Amino acid sequence: MATPTYDLLESVTLATAASSVTFSSIDQSYGDLILQMEAVATSSNTPKVRFNSDSGSNYYSVSMQGLANGNTGSYSSTSDFLTVQLANVKTKPSLFTVQIFDYSATDKHKSALSRCVAVEDDGSLDRVGAVAARWANTSAITSITLDGSNGSWDTGSTFYLYGVAK
Amino acid sequence: MAVVKLSTAGLTNYAKYSSMLAGNAPFVAGAYDLLETTTLTSSASSVTFSGLGSYSDYAHLQIRMVIRGGSSDNFSYTLNGDTSSIYALHRIRGNGSSVAAYASTSASSAGGYEMPTSGYVSGAFGAIVMDILDFSSTSKNTTVRGLYGHAADGNRVGLVSNLYASTDAITSFTTDGGGGGFGSGCRFSLYGIKGA
Repeated sequence: MATPTYDLLESVTLATAASSVTFSSIDQSYGDLILQMEAVATSSNTPKVRFNSDSGSNYYSVSMQGLANGNTGSYSSTSDFLTVQLANVKTKPSLFTVQIFDYSATDKHKSALSRCVAVEDDGSLDRVGAVAARWANTSAITSITLDGSNGSWDTGSTFYLYGVAK
Repeated sequence: MAVVKLSTAGLTNYAKYSSMLAGNAPFVAGAYDLLETTTLTSSASSVTFSGLGSYSDYAHLQIRMVIRGGSSDNFSYTLNGDTSSIYALHRIRGNGSSVAAYASTSASSAGGYEMPTSGYVSGAFGAIVMDILDFSSTSKNTTVRGLYGHAADGNRVGLVSNLYASTDAITSFTTDGGGGGFGSGCRFSLYGIKGA
């Protein structure tokens, strides 16, 4: 018999600007997590996703993107945060959906795939892209934090966390 | 003491319902359901989901995979066990340096995906999310779209579309690890997505 799945675990809609959003005490009974964000920022903000408050250089990523001006690019990085978006979030809405696989496993690094759209204040730099990322840690993910680099996530920004059964 | 008789006279603030739901909302099955999962406890050359015809009350299928190959980084699959040369693919992929598009036709399997091999950093897995659209249709060729990637040694992120140039309904899905198989810990989960 089919098992109903894809459940909303938690959502946040900012009533006032905030520098950080955290999902903590994440239910460990699902297979994958899906984090969906539509955000605006008070200034140019790079979304910095971190697991279990780990701010070490343990996050690896590879991305590809296409820009409104016709350029394409692919980049790889090692960083102290999980890359899920290819441009800074500014005053226009930017969105991404990041899927985190086998997040409760303790025998695997955590893999993630992100699809993202960034709307820049300069329209020629609007972009769409995808990211594959890895957190080089076998710990189960119990919390996810979304920090910004400079300003704050502005009023009206939405953050949703879903669980997908396996 | 055992209860031998219960009457309304002995109850206060009770409600009477004519339905067994007793005021509760009826259970409605979800629009996105887990159907099957296979997690490898040892390496395997392939994984098959068969009997997909029994899921025809769903419009689409989604397969979510957490994978790590053996000696090969190629990931492909066949539908209905069909290895005739009727598969095509389109892919756009980034490798950390550049973005490239690729296409092929007349292939004997649906491919274009890549995964970490057993020689990559320990503990690293890749992921694939694949949607098989209108899989029960007998009037359309079947198309499959996918997002995949891994950030482990050979970096890869890509979008793939596959064509199965047959109007047969899809009844089975078989993975192929490019001759190298799949390692222990790989997970393959099948989901059904309801239509109208």
